[in-house]
Amino acid sequence: MTGRWLAGKAAAALATFVFVLVFNFFLFRVMGDPTTQLAKLPQATPKELQRLRADYGLDKPLLGQFVDYVGDTARFDLGVSQRSRQPVWDEIASAIPWTLLLVGTGTLLATVIGSWLGVVAATRRGKGTDNGLLGFSLFTYAAPEYWIGIILILVFAVWLPVLPAGLQTTPGVEFSGFFDNALDVAKHLILPATTITLMLLGQYFLIMRSSMVDVLTEDFITVKRATGLPWHRVVRRHAVPNALLPLVTLSAIQFGAVAGGLITVETIFSWPGLGELSFQAINDKDFPVLEGTFLVFSAGVILANFLADCLYFYLDPRVQSR
Amino acid sequence: MRAKRLWAAAGALAVVIALAVGGATTAIGKGSNGNSVLKIGWAQDPQTLNPFVGLDEEDFTAWALNWDLLVNFSPKDLGPTAGIAKSWSVSKDQKTVTFKLDPTAKWSDGKPVTSADVKWSLDVLGSNGALFTSYTDNITSIDTPDPHTVVIHTKRPDARIVGGLFIYILPKHIWGKVPVKDLTGSYQAKLPLVGSGPYVVTDFQQGHILTMKRNPLFRGPRPKYDEIDFIKYGNQDAVERALQLGEIDLVPEVSAANFARLGTQSDIDTFRAPAPAFTELSFNMCQPRFCPDAKFNPAIQDRAVRQAVGYAVNRSRLNAIASRGTSFVAHGILPSYYKSFYQQPKQDYPFDPAKAKQILDQAGWKENGSGPRTKGNETLSFNLYARTESPYTIEDAKLIAEEAAKVGIDFHVQVVSTDKLTELTVQKVNGKPAPDFDTFVWGWGGDPYDPSFLLSLLTTDEIGGSSDSFYSNPQYDRLFKQQAGVFDTAKRKAIIARMVALTQRDLPYLVLTYDPNLQAYRTDRISGVHPTCPDGSGDIFCEQISYEGMLPLGPASGDSGGGGTSGGTVALIVIGVVALAGIGFFVIRSRRRGRAEPVELEE
Repeated sequence: MTGRWLAGKAAAALATFVFVLVFNFFLFRVMGDPTTQLAKLPQATPKELQRLRADYGLDKPLLGQFVDYVGDTARFDLGVSQRSRQPVWDEIASAIPWTLLLVGTGTLLATVIGSWLGVVAATRRGKGTDNGLLGFSLFTYAAPEYWIGIILILVFAVWLPVLPAGLQTTPGVEFSGFFDNALDVAKHLILPATTITLMLLGQYFLIMRSSMVDVLTEDFITVKRATGLPWHRVVRRHAVPNALLPLVTLSAIQFGAVAGGLITVETIFSWPGLGELSFQAINDKDFPVLEGTFLVFSAGVILANFLADCLYFYLDPRVQSR
Repeated sequence: MRAKRLWAAAGALAVVIALAVGGATTAIGKGSNGNSVLKIGWAQDPQTLNPFVGLDEEDFTAWALNWDLLVNFSPKDLGPTAGIAKSWSVSKDQKTVTFKLDPTAKWSDGKPVTSADVKWSLDVLGSNGALFTSYTDNITSIDTPDPHTVVIHTKRPDARIVGGLFIYILPKHIWGKVPVKDLTGSYQAKLPLVGSGPYVVTDFQQGHILTMKRNPLFRGPRPKYDEIDFIKYGNQDAVERALQLGEIDLVPEVSAANFARLGTQSDIDTFRAPAPAFTELSFNMCQPRFCPDAKFNPAIQDRAVRQAVGYAVNRSRLNAIASRGTSFVAHGILPSYYKSFYQQPKQDYPFDPAKAKQILDQAGWKENGSGPRTKGNETLSFNLYARTESPYTIEDAKLIAEEAAKVGIDFHVQVVSTDKLTELTVQKVNGKPAPDFDTFVWGWGGDPYDPSFLLSLLTTDEIGGSSDSFYSNPQYDRLFKQQAGVFDTAKRKAIIARMVALTQRDLPYLVLTYDPNLQAYRTDRISGVHPTCPDGSGDIFCEQISYEGMLPLGPASGDSGGGGTSGGTVALIVIGVVALAGIGFFVIRSRRRGRAEPVELEE
């Protein structure tokens, strides 16, 4: 039963990925001939354009191009960047760690702080604390991430020049060791990670608060309270674990939203991750890189959803018993 | 007990933040090994260091510091000055130029620079480099009688051979070992990038940083900076903010929108220098013999209409509004940047709507109430394209439409992508150009010193090539060929003046503004700044043209080499501790209350 359930979810994830793969291929062919970049050069002769098309395999029939594309993708060969002439996978691979660091830190902080504030608000429903936190969360939920980022830069980098406004490390500095370097990265991470945290915080707060309010009205909570357990213990041991499930789903769904927001946040903070790489590729009309980042983002969302399913399976006994 | 643990955790977090901030701030003040470092910020970094495939301006910025030309551009007037060649002589028939190379010139790897390097570069880069192929068209052969002599033979006299041969001289012993197919493909040169200039690229992390270090074998004066770091930021705002915050020392390309504001900061100085580039309103002049399938309103080919547009458009207003006053009002196709050849044409189209109306009246274009003027079945109603990617040219187009409407000429502004406008201008039917537009606003950029490229845009030979107005005038073509072969600057200037006069009369382009090169630097960091290339009216460091402008620049006295945030460290720690204390207090209070208060459930 367990195996079949997991296999089903894995198959669904795989099917989604195959769809994305096919969609990705045709999307970037519909958008036009990548060699138009070269066509802007007065010196570009039809012969040169033909050579470029041959280099990119664009002279083959569409089906042949698709077979090449699938085979290359399976080998992590995502083509060559039209701008830098470097393998796309190399560019993506060097950007992924920075994105993971930023998204990981931001998501972790948003989950922990958002859910904690959700619990606090739920246990004080209708009071000043609840109203204040609700207002704050709705504000951060509604505010665009680029606006949050710019305000943070204005306050912490311009008015109070205590944090760097951008980049991932201080340029041109040779650090004495890993610890120094890590501290420098940590300092540069504060503002973009705070932006991601504030971007996500509202949703985690709202879901956790609503979920907690539901759980706290359940009979078993009253029973636990009646047994004489201290209130904080009832909340921590019995209410919170039951209210956490929707948060797991949200984390996976949020991954897609994070990917979108990343482009803006990384560009504002000059953070050299996948978002900035995508922005640069859009500006340069570098289709192979765009195709690559699109695929990686999609694969990330699919993987996150699959992991959420697996986690849900582990956390919720009702799913296992089905 | 629990409260104590919470306070301990909060304290630990505060220490981590303090360490992060403190540690990093200490690092900011250090240069690499205590070297003097010039930090330059940009929003776009080089696409490649390979000159065979590079197309971007930023590529040229690195190349110009790394390599020489055979004859460099003088920082004084952009005229010819010693490069790899120390001296040169022109034969009587002006078809042969003999160059004597600098015998002291060495590559940064210690090997001598020889005539073989020059020949290989002119032959191979000049034939295959994406942006270098037009300079050697006229060369028939290159001889290298000895390691320090190069003889260039041309089909006809060509002044570009001295002062306009914009092809970098590369070390043959490195680049010559790579097949041309690879050079024009994905070849990436090993670092350090062996060169002959004052700095060589030692590290290039695309999207992050490009580092150039001083070349100890450079034959010229020792540069004052040991290292130049070009730092890539995510967007132009971030670059300019970094300059304001002192993270970088210089911005080679400032946005027009922020130029005036940056200049108001006390420790920042801004530079506005003419560039060899212009923005023009182009008219479709294609004649049926060249473009049988072209699509346009034939009224645009009436010279009186174009001249009326010239008088109706207030170029000063366009500059003030669209370019925020940062450009220069244009006077013909040759930008004022070309000091040696520039002179303002007599027929200059000052803003004069009354004259515009008079010209149209005389040409038989009758007023038609509030609508466009007409003549028979023809109507003065034209499409006017501008590019999505260029907001200021969109603004230009709207202003042109607004002003032309007042004299009875309708322009319908259409904003399209660069790709779309390229297609509309270069498309062909049966192998012949078939442009599909009446007018558009776009721009062109030319070479340093030699104006031939910009002048060539209006030659008949360029129809089907670079020409986007499809102008054809045999007299202009003849003068173009003539000026290209004149080595005497004064004589060449006179011929160019006649060419400009022809284009001002026929007006295939109404050149609106000459583009500026907007730069900014920190006065508390850099010393020795003086406008250069050309002297007195150029930019800060001869960007993309020559390394000569970089040599006088040095660290300002008292420059700590960066930083500026240490004063805020204490403030941040205080903020962090206060915030953590607040959180701790809140948590403890809530827990106490939680223990004391009963659960509140709905009735």
